[in-house]
Amino acid sequence: MPQLPFDTVLIANRGEIAARIVKTLRKLGLRSAVAYHEIDARTPAVSMADLAIQISGNTPIASYLDTRQIIAAADQARAGALHPGYGLLSENAEFARAVTDTGIAFIGPLPDTIELMGDKIRARNFVQSNGFPVTPCVIEEDDPATFASRAQAMGAPLLVKPSAGGGGKGMRIVRDLNTLEAAIEQARSEAGRYFGDARLYAERHLEYPRHIEVQVLGDRLGNVVHLYERECSVQRRFQKIIEETPSPALSQELRARICDTAVRIARAANYRNAGTVEFLLSGDDFYFLEMNTRLQVEHPVTEMITGVDLVAEQIYAAAGRELAFSQSDIVSNGHAIELRLYAEAPERGYAPTTGKVLLLEYPNDVRIDSGIMQGQHITPAFDPMLAKIIVHSPSRMESVLKAHRAVRELVLLGCETNANLLARIVSDEAFLGGHFHVGYLEQNPHLAAGNFSAGMSAFLASAALLTRPVRDSADAVPELHSALGNWRN
Amino acid sequence: MQRIGSAADVDSQEFRRNDLHNRQLAAELKERQRLARFDRPEKDIERLRRQNKLFVRNRIAALLDPETPFLELSTLAANKAYNGEVPGAAQVVGIGIVAGREVIVHADDSSVKSGAWYPLSVKKIVRALDIAIENRLPVVHLCDCAGGFLPLQAEFFADRYHAGRILRNQSILSRMGVPQVAIVMGQCTAAGAYVPALSEYNIVVEGTGAIFLGGPPVVKAATGEQVSAQELGGALMHTSVSGTSDYFATSELHAIAIARNVVARFHQPAKTCIDRVAPEPPAYDASELYGIIPEDARAQFDMREIIARLVDGSRFDEYQPRYATSLVCGFARLYGYQVGIVANNGVLFGDSALKGAHFIQICDKNRTPLLFLQNVTGFMVGREYERRGITKDGAKLIMTVSSASVPKFTIICNSSHGAGTYAMSGRAFDPRFVFSWPNSQISAMGAEQAAGVLTHVKARQLARNGGRLSEQELAGIREPVLEEYRERSSAYYATSELWDDGILDPVDTRTALAIALSASLNAPIDAPQYGVFRM
Amino acid sequence: MYHSFEVDGVDHTLWLSASRHGYRLHLRDEVIAPVAFTERSDSSGILTIAGQSEPVRFVIDGELIHLHIRGRTRTLRYIDPLGAYAAGNDGTCPLVARAPMPGRVVAITVSPGDSVSAGTALMMIESMKLETIIRSPQDGIVERIHVKENESFEHDAVLVTLSKEGF
Repeated sequence: MPQLPFDTVLIANRGEIAARIVKTLRKLGLRSAVAYHEIDARTPAVSMADLAIQISGNTPIASYLDTRQIIAAADQARAGALHPGYGLLSENAEFARAVTDTGIAFIGPLPDTIELMGDKIRARNFVQSNGFPVTPCVIEEDDPATFASRAQAMGAPLLVKPSAGGGGKGMRIVRDLNTLEAAIEQARSEAGRYFGDARLYAERHLEYPRHIEVQVLGDRLGNVVHLYERECSVQRRFQKIIEETPSPALSQELRARICDTAVRIARAANYRNAGTVEFLLSGDDFYFLEMNTRLQVEHPVTEMITGVDLVAEQIYAAAGRELAFSQSDIVSNGHAIELRLYAEAPERGYAPTTGKVLLLEYPNDVRIDSGIMQGQHITPAFDPMLAKIIVHSPSRMESVLKAHRAVRELVLLGCETNANLLARIVSDEAFLGGHFHVGYLEQNPHLAAGNFSAGMSAFLASAALLTRPVRDSADAVPELHSALGNWRN
Repeated sequence: MQRIGSAADVDSQEFRRNDLHNRQLAAELKERQRLARFDRPEKDIERLRRQNKLFVRNRIAALLDPETPFLELSTLAANKAYNGEVPGAAQVVGIGIVAGREVIVHADDSSVKSGAWYPLSVKKIVRALDIAIENRLPVVHLCDCAGGFLPLQAEFFADRYHAGRILRNQSILSRMGVPQVAIVMGQCTAAGAYVPALSEYNIVVEGTGAIFLGGPPVVKAATGEQVSAQELGGALMHTSVSGTSDYFATSELHAIAIARNVVARFHQPAKTCIDRVAPEPPAYDASELYGIIPEDARAQFDMREIIARLVDGSRFDEYQPRYATSLVCGFARLYGYQVGIVANNGVLFGDSALKGAHFIQICDKNRTPLLFLQNVTGFMVGREYERRGITKDGAKLIMTVSSASVPKFTIICNSSHGAGTYAMSGRAFDPRFVFSWPNSQISAMGAEQAAGVLTHVKARQLARNGGRLSEQELAGIREPVLEEYRERSSAYYATSELWDDGILDPVDTRTALAIALSASLNAPIDAPQYGVFRM
Repeated sequence: MYHSFEVDGVDHTLWLSASRHGYRLHLRDEVIAPVAFTERSDSSGILTIAGQSEPVRFVIDGELIHLHIRGRTRTLRYIDPLGAYAAGNDGTCPLVARAPMPGRVVAITVSPGDSVSAGTALMMIESMKLETIIRSPQDGIVERIHVKENESFEHDAVLVTLSKEGF
């Protein structure tokens, strides 16, 4: 195999994904460099990378969004390529262009593709015009004055979304048309803040569809393959919590159809890297939702069942190599599940939590993509995802059992997490049976609420026995009086 | 040690009759105690609520370590005095556990006459502090007292054991190195002001607690100065200006938390070590005591049946079992502690007194605490016994009882009369604790006997004036005399007057004694030392 | 006076007493005995409770006891009675608006000296991708604003102090 045209890659990201990318760079014999904000100094990526370059900004997040500083860091590291990870600048076409213009390979699709797919309205139109199914939709910029009334005419339930959005940011479901105006206002405000682009669109909201997405991989020569689907329906507030592959909802025939559709969409878009085509599945019908022009958080489940290192493939694609395999070489083997560990309290409306990681122990025999380490402070500055637990087994049932064991063995003390919720979901009957959809958690609030008092006595007993004043007061009482207990004459 | 083989027939008519009777007495006791503890006019409860004060029982519950015993003393003090209007003499006293320490709790009960001190209140407090001194127990005072009840001041102010004794005892405790902490939860006025002041530590509750020699009305009358109670002696003033108080508490519970913290820091001297093994419950059920104590106080019963239901494993190592059998002496264990038991099985003779005197000296030398179980009508009388010197033998017993250095505990199980009361470690002989059973009677002589004597005296007076009384007239004199005599020799009268430390339901005796015994070991046991025995 | 632990905003009172075999745990409506805890390392041990053994991972951080038992994680806070009772009954405590969750200030809509009524919007915060409006808990006057726009804050941070009119 010819040598890669670069020997150093700058990772313009943080957390678990930065650490995960470092691992592949090491495997490929490439130097890794990370740009990091001070607040992240004590994180796995910074300690693992060959080189760590500090960047700064008004807020931690602003430093990671500062194109100038990131490119300067790449220069400083003498990086020949840049991996944007997911989120942050990963789907920013201007950034991709700026990187490419400095002669650094951007590990991702072409800026034009990012631009096309990044604009949700253009992407929908593009997909629709190529003959693929999309949900009914009204677009604000077609006629801003009548946007609300056109949305109203489409009827409830509907979804108001930012044109430039992604990851659920700024999205609002409208079930009561009386609240439409307010939802539009709020979505507009959030869109403006997150994406600097206040344009909106509204689409038919399918009640309780499944979220199915297909991993695709393209190269410079126009080859596109899929790596099967991922089932991502276990969500809260549009945020995925548990992903798996294969999806328990797809027949062989439907799987082939949906994967093939994804490949054709990617091919139409001249797609040349790793990407994901997202669909909503309702019955046997599926509709294009959007295409993510980057690595997905949940990519590891695909890696587990296909044995393909997606980050390595991204790097090869960026280096201009041809895909080393064809569609028929990609075999789906077994079943994989990913559980996302968040710093949040599902019991309190998923409120984010903070704290210092005082004790961290991961389970054995499973893949952990971790963005945290012991001693690290969890702050509200970033997305609350801390780590991912990925299990792989021959069958779905074995995977689910393994996931349940793993999440219960995971020990993270010092910052509240959603681990209890994850354990409850993977032992829930509906989940075990594969019967769920994007409204699953909303319809089963008991999963988030948890059983408040379950096992409380063991916790109280441990706390009592570990608290000196409590133990001391027990030990101080003379033996006779302890034995007599609450006696009264 | 041999186990006592009980001869009681639990199926017998007699046992069942006794059982019914004594269970009724126990139920009556519980009811009277309940009323004395909790039965208050609604207006008094309402007043406490208005003042943002907790009821004294709730204060004590918060003070004590949970899941530990509280031996309440003299619950029915003053039950026969002041028309029954001052239950418990407006005081709650007991031995409890605070932060693991055995302490005396002394609390004014402001739900009764605003916690005013009556003569028997003073007697109860003095006794509480005597217990603290004798047993070296730290004291927690919960002060909430309106001051002395002036109409009766002649009965509690000036004498040796009147209110001044409280302050004297506090000072003595402090000199002995036995610490006290006072929580000021109401106004501490005049002599009451010195209770917190003489405590090593005191805490004042903001808003309700105050300490001053003269309250606002007294100040106004004396100098014309207008001043509020809080300004005059409130928590803020005393903790930041006068230094009279140590800790400022924002609420009663806060004050109690501070007090618990203070007690936790008290130095805990090692307790006196006496022979002890692992405890063992009695082989016989304590509730069988109800069937053994006779309904008729004059009926004889074997005190070993009582012992079998008090001591560990019902094992009793009897001393001189064949000699002077009207006084049963021997060793047993109570919650593992070795004790020497002296119990009446009939009237005291000269040889009984000699046996008792010898046994007490053995226990004293052996550092074995003594338990007296009283059922005694007195010493035998008659020419024969006087000639044999029963008085000088009785004197030997009284000498040993008075002089023994080991802790003594006395239970008045049934009768307690005449010199028998004294020779069996009555109140005057400073046993660490005296408890009565509800059926018991205590007096110089038995009621029937006494009524006979009194009626005879009266009849003689009349005869001297030439009158002669018919049987009916004699009965007319005898009945009221008997009635009053019975009333005044009852356990309720005795406890009302603080002649004991409280009436016990017989089934509670074993536990009460264990708590008392444990408390007594906080004080050292001196070497035995006696006066002159008349030989 | 019982001991108290706070878990998820709820107080649990309890008492531990020694017995011949380990300890007895007295809870509000049950007694569990024996209970015992054997420490295996700084952060692990075995809880014996009613005849069962449970591995426990723990970290003690001041008054906070973080525990992991049987796959569940909980944080319990020991309530020191001295502090707890002292804090209560404090009538002079100023009115404050606190952060319901950690987040970042988006926009502040009042200024010090403004008179507000209960429910008046004080600021907009952003947390979990959602904007939330912090409203005045009571009528009063804005005395102090403790955060700036774009500033991050932790859960329960004091955002705005109000004073009562006529105070």
